[in-house]
Amino acid sequence: MANKRVATELKKPFRLKGEGMFIFLCLLPALLFVAVFTYYPLLRGVVMSFQNYTLFDLLNIHFIGLDNFAGVVTSPDFPRVAMNSFFWVVCSLFFQLLFGLVLALLMRRRFRGRGLYQAFVFFPWAMSGFLIGLIWRWMFNAQFGVINDLLLKTGIIDAPIPFLADGKWAMAAVIMANIWYGVAFFAIMILAALQSIPEELYEAAAMDGAGRFQQLWSVTLPYILPTMLVTILLRVIWILNFPDIIYSMTSGGPAGSTHIFATFMIEKVIFGQDYGQASAIGVIIVLILLLFTVFYVKATRVEKGGDF
Amino acid sequence: MKVSKWLSAVLSLVLSGGLIAGCSQPASNPPASSSGGTGQAGQTITLKMVESITSPQRTELLKEMLAKFEAKNPGIKVDLISPPFEGADQKITQMLMAKEALDVLEVREFNAKQFSMNGFIENLKPYTDKWKNYDQLTDIAKRRATWVDNTPYYIPNGLYQRVLFYRTDWLKEAGLEVPKTWEELLVAAKKLTDPAKNRFGYSFRGGPTGWDYALITIWAYNGTQVDPASAFFLKDGRTVFSTPESLEALTFYKQLYKEASPADSVSWGFQEMVQGFVSGSTAFLIQDPDVIDGAKEKMKEGTWATAPLPIGPSGVAQQVVGGPGWGMTAYSQHKEEAWKLIEFLSDPEQSTTYAKRTSVIPVVKSAAEDEFYKTGYFKPFIDMNAQGQTYIDVSRPVDYKGWGAWQSAADKDIQSYLLDKISAEDLLKQWDQYWTKEKAERK
Repeated sequence: MANKRVATELKKPFRLKGEGMFIFLCLLPALLFVAVFTYYPLLRGVVMSFQNYTLFDLLNIHFIGLDNFAGVVTSPDFPRVAMNSFFWVVCSLFFQLLFGLVLALLMRRRFRGRGLYQAFVFFPWAMSGFLIGLIWRWMFNAQFGVINDLLLKTGIIDAPIPFLADGKWAMAAVIMANIWYGVAFFAIMILAALQSIPEELYEAAAMDGAGRFQQLWSVTLPYILPTMLVTILLRVIWILNFPDIIYSMTSGGPAGSTHIFATFMIEKVIFGQDYGQASAIGVIIVLILLLFTVFYVKATRVEKGGDF
Repeated sequence: MKVSKWLSAVLSLVLSGGLIAGCSQPASNPPASSSGGTGQAGQTITLKMVESITSPQRTELLKEMLAKFEAKNPGIKVDLISPPFEGADQKITQMLMAKEALDVLEVREFNAKQFSMNGFIENLKPYTDKWKNYDQLTDIAKRRATWVDNTPYYIPNGLYQRVLFYRTDWLKEAGLEVPKTWEELLVAAKKLTDPAKNRFGYSFRGGPTGWDYALITIWAYNGTQVDPASAFFLKDGRTVFSTPESLEALTFYKQLYKEASPADSVSWGFQEMVQGFVSGSTAFLIQDPDVIDGAKEKMKEGTWATAPLPIGPSGVAQQVVGGPGWGMTAYSQHKEEAWKLIEFLSDPEQSTTYAKRTSVIPVVKSAAEDEFYKTGYFKPFIDMNAQGQTYIDVSRPVDYKGWGAWQSAADKDIQSYLLDKISAEDLLKQWDQYWTKEKAERK
């Protein structure tokens, strides 16, 4: 008897181990895939950032310590690139969130043709950012752009504004395009969260005499907050790494005034052919995002959310 | 329980890492594809070929030519890879770095040096020595083929050079002659500028690779003191940016932008400047022959024409004649067959057909006798090439280590100058110092 019990005692963890092994083996292909396609390039990038690695002279690749980082940080463009990246993320995110929330609230109630309308709202999200950049670039064009044309026809301006020829305008223009592109994603996420709020809560709130605004403030917003927090985190990561729109609209110009880290990195690769410095910029982006994520998660305690 | 916790921890770590890593991937090498080679019975050899200046029409044409080649050589099949034009050269570079299966590739003059230095492309001298049609190439085409170390690394397939496109009807209306010099161009362009009518004199290129246009002006002002072999330097060894003529040229260049071009042309790229001309908002455009087709399509016959490039006060105009062409990878397993293909594509008959259909300037001597090039829109190109003393073929210093970094900063510098953020003197001083240092450091 006792022997038997001992045996089962022994067997138990053993069997679990087998099970664990089985699960591990099932996951192995996926783990390998991620390792090969995500971690290997990431490590390569990190290694490259410490190397002299230019296409001009591939036979002369050697470690140069922190020279690439020093080169990037001390370059005259760096402060502006950092500032631009900050504005790019903050302005884009704020308005995307605001408009996304409004859109989601509008699309919540059933109305005729809602499905079609939703499809239209979400459409930008399915398009390539590069293409969107090209479209906006033509729209902002001073000679044949529709935006100037409309402003002229309505009499708001009396001479076309060369949006993409002036640093301040150009930054506003790329942020505008990015807001248009990103609103849909927030709308999708928030709409999903809205649709999971039980109707009873509103009934109860109405019973207690809460008005429309009170209901929004005390029921809707607290309920979708976790979703918003996670979405904001994801969007910060994506927006900071999203060069497509800027690259196809202005290539970082005029005179470098619309460069963010991501476009600055592309320029280093395409024109400068300097993979070492480009990787250094990449590593800087990762560090910024890591720091941000750690603080953000600590500040918002996202683990309370988890509405996914 | 423990297991699932452990697993979820690992998984979340892996996936969140992946999320953050998803951002900063420098161009990673794609895994090498399976090597093309002999496969089927009957020993069919498959060559892999990649083009760089891709456009749908051109790919179509190349496929036609390859079908002819395959019909002539039953044992050889050719797979054409056509990456999108934007970023095609990066793609090709990555293929070469990863030693992907590739036999014939399109080499551009700006990456020929880099490819040969890194041992990616084959020296074609052993083949051209035995090739009967080598002497059929025009002088300019031969210079392009051999411009790296005086060794043929590729056979040009067409020449890209610029001419002046202008509106004949507007000039007539204003009673103006076709401008022959930059000054005349500015006078005419200013006269034709009328913002109220949305009309401007000149399709200015301030956007991507706008430095190219600043340079042709700088060269035209510096004249024959420029060293054609490395045109950022003078024949006496100083940089071209150190002269008073360059200051004059830049001053002129800003005038051209401010007084005769649309304000937002400071950020115009190829598309916008061409659109500006063909849509009837600019009078002058300096561009490649491939614009001719688009202009034919969108503009009325008789409202526009082409003329040779404007010359500077020095009496000359330098031009950089681009000549991409077909080369061979150094690691190709089928070099003989690859050469056969290059030889076929470079055959005078094939080559001229190709040039006509893709609107590039032909590389073979016999084409100059062709009626097609003796008249009409293509005539100025042939005329310019016949006057080598006035229209001087020059090379940029793409074989210097600092070329890439300069190129990535140059547009920014010029835009800053055009938008009055730096002075012409400071800009020139900066470039002068940069290239003096480059020259001193050159191995």
